[in-house]
Amino acid sequence: MTNERTAAADVRPPQPQGGKKFSRLRETCKHSYIGWLFTLPMTLGLLIFTFYPMIQSLVYAFAEYDGVEHFELIGLGNFIRMFTSDRREMIIVLKNTFLYAIISVPLTLVLSYMLALLVNKKIAGVGVFRVLYYLPVVIPSVVSGLLWKGVYDPIYGLGNSILNAFGLPSSQFFESEKSAMASFIFMNIFGVGGSMILWLSALKNVPPELYEAATIDGANGAVKLFCITIPLSTSMIFYNLITGIIGSLQTFNTYVVAANEGRGPNNSLYFFAVKIYNTAFAGMRFEYGYASALAWVLFIIVGLLTVFIFRTSKWVYYGEES
Amino acid sequence: MHQHVSAVLAAANRKKMTFEVIRHILWYIVYAAVAVVLLFPVAFMITKSLMTGTEAASLPVRFWPENPTFENYKLMFTENNYLRYACNTLIIVVFNMIAIPFAASVVAYGFAKTKFAGKNVLFVAMLSTIMLPSMVVQIPQFAMFSAFGWINTYYPMTIPNLFGGGAMNVFLLRQFMRGIPNELDNAAKIDGANAFQRYLLITLPLCVPILIYVMITVFNTYWSDFFGPLMYLKTESKYTLAIGIFRDSIQNSSVQKVPVRMAAGVFMTILPAILFFVFQKQLIEGVTVGSIKG
Repeated sequence: MTNERTAAADVRPPQPQGGKKFSRLRETCKHSYIGWLFTLPMTLGLLIFTFYPMIQSLVYAFAEYDGVEHFELIGLGNFIRMFTSDRREMIIVLKNTFLYAIISVPLTLVLSYMLALLVNKKIAGVGVFRVLYYLPVVIPSVVSGLLWKGVYDPIYGLGNSILNAFGLPSSQFFESEKSAMASFIFMNIFGVGGSMILWLSALKNVPPELYEAATIDGANGAVKLFCITIPLSTSMIFYNLITGIIGSLQTFNTYVVAANEGRGPNNSLYFFAVKIYNTAFAGMRFEYGYASALAWVLFIIVGLLTVFIFRTSKWVYYGEES
Repeated sequence: MHQHVSAVLAAANRKKMTFEVIRHILWYIVYAAVAVVLLFPVAFMITKSLMTGTEAASLPVRFWPENPTFENYKLMFTENNYLRYACNTLIIVVFNMIAIPFAASVVAYGFAKTKFAGKNVLFVAMLSTIMLPSMVVQIPQFAMFSAFGWINTYYPMTIPNLFGGGAMNVFLLRQFMRGIPNELDNAAKIDGANAFQRYLLITLPLCVPILIYVMITVFNTYWSDFFGPLMYLKTESKYTLAIGIFRDSIQNSSVQKVPVRMAAGVFMTILPAILFFVFQKQLIEGVTVGSIKG
């Protein structure tokens, strides 16, 4: 039976089959052309401004290129350079970037979550405070950097006055390698209002029946927090964790506050993204090749971390329906 | 007997009431304390902007200006060129506030309301670019835009946006459009409306809330965009506010110049703050759509 069928199919002349294929293609085009037309700008945009540059930067990564005329493929030369002649600076940059991410992401996560819990109460006028807490987020980041530079001025800034008022010793803030990173992390805490808004929406999605049931069972506030609220907002914790890590590894804001072209005292605020920028555009000669190799390394680090977090995300709860 | 019971009850009630009031007051104290801490930088910026240069450079450091003056808000436009920067910024911002919602909603309509071969592939390709560190494409883009002769123009910060208006915006608009019942679209189809008419006249008007969100985020993004102007704008007459205030901080680094710069900072913060106050609801909802459903 099966053999017969195959045989019959083989006997058939190939011409109509080709025609069938062709008419299917025509059918598809007829069905699809409107959709294609609507999404054509995005297709073009992705090709011209994302995928083509990505391929280019991949080629640059294996080349020496000054952006003008000198272009020479050098194989793994750029990547070898990271581990040899540029090793010292690479270690500093990686250490700074990861140190910042490891401290800043969990710190912001916890603080903004606490802030959200704080203003999630049903008390008259609490909405006003939510708005106030969000206000620092609307300050443009350059302005925020410059204003903190003013606060942190060791002589004319208020930072030391405040420290002294609490009985703490004066600090050099951005001007000493010991305090630069801590000052930068502290300054970024003031943006917690942004994540607070996200938490609030997650907290609103927790069904109130759960709390009522817990109250009847005699659960206290802490039990409710750890057994209901936090487990039910894990999807938002996950989102904040991913975006936080991706964002913090690409931090460029230090460029505004740190002296020496965004390096800070003794390279103490020198971040990966700033190094890429400096390599490509700020040196005596432009080094597109090496900068592209660095950018791909950053991309791979971010990508691997994201995959890792997704792989270990069994603890995330996405609600009943999904 | 009866009277006695109600008196006891009333006393208990009163006790509960006072307890509630005290609890509320305690909460307000906590709220206010947090607000003082979080708003301290904003307050610093404002009070500094009201000082004279000599006062800012005098010791001991003070928080409140002795004689508050609005002089700096004049100086930023006369001694510095902030009016020019503001106009330049507005050119980019206004263009993008119109172009991006339009471009993104066209593409989003394609994803939400039409069927076509390769839709999922394109959608995933688009979404994956959100994760891509921008540094990877920035260097070749710079080379490309240099070849186009786009250095020291606003084209790098505007023209690419015509092509889809950004993956995140398309995603948000598509999510929103999927929530609009298809019956509306189908009814218009029966009445003879073509796809573009259905997009423009049926779907788009219903997307106003999310369009407002997109427009405001576009405003905030380009009003404070630092990296684009840093890369592409080379002459002072082309500067936007963000790069202008940054270059100002490098050229006039003395303490006497800080108050004028802080006035410029206040000036740069006012519009985003007003937009936030007015459109709070849409902003918070939009943020939520983007994150939860993502």
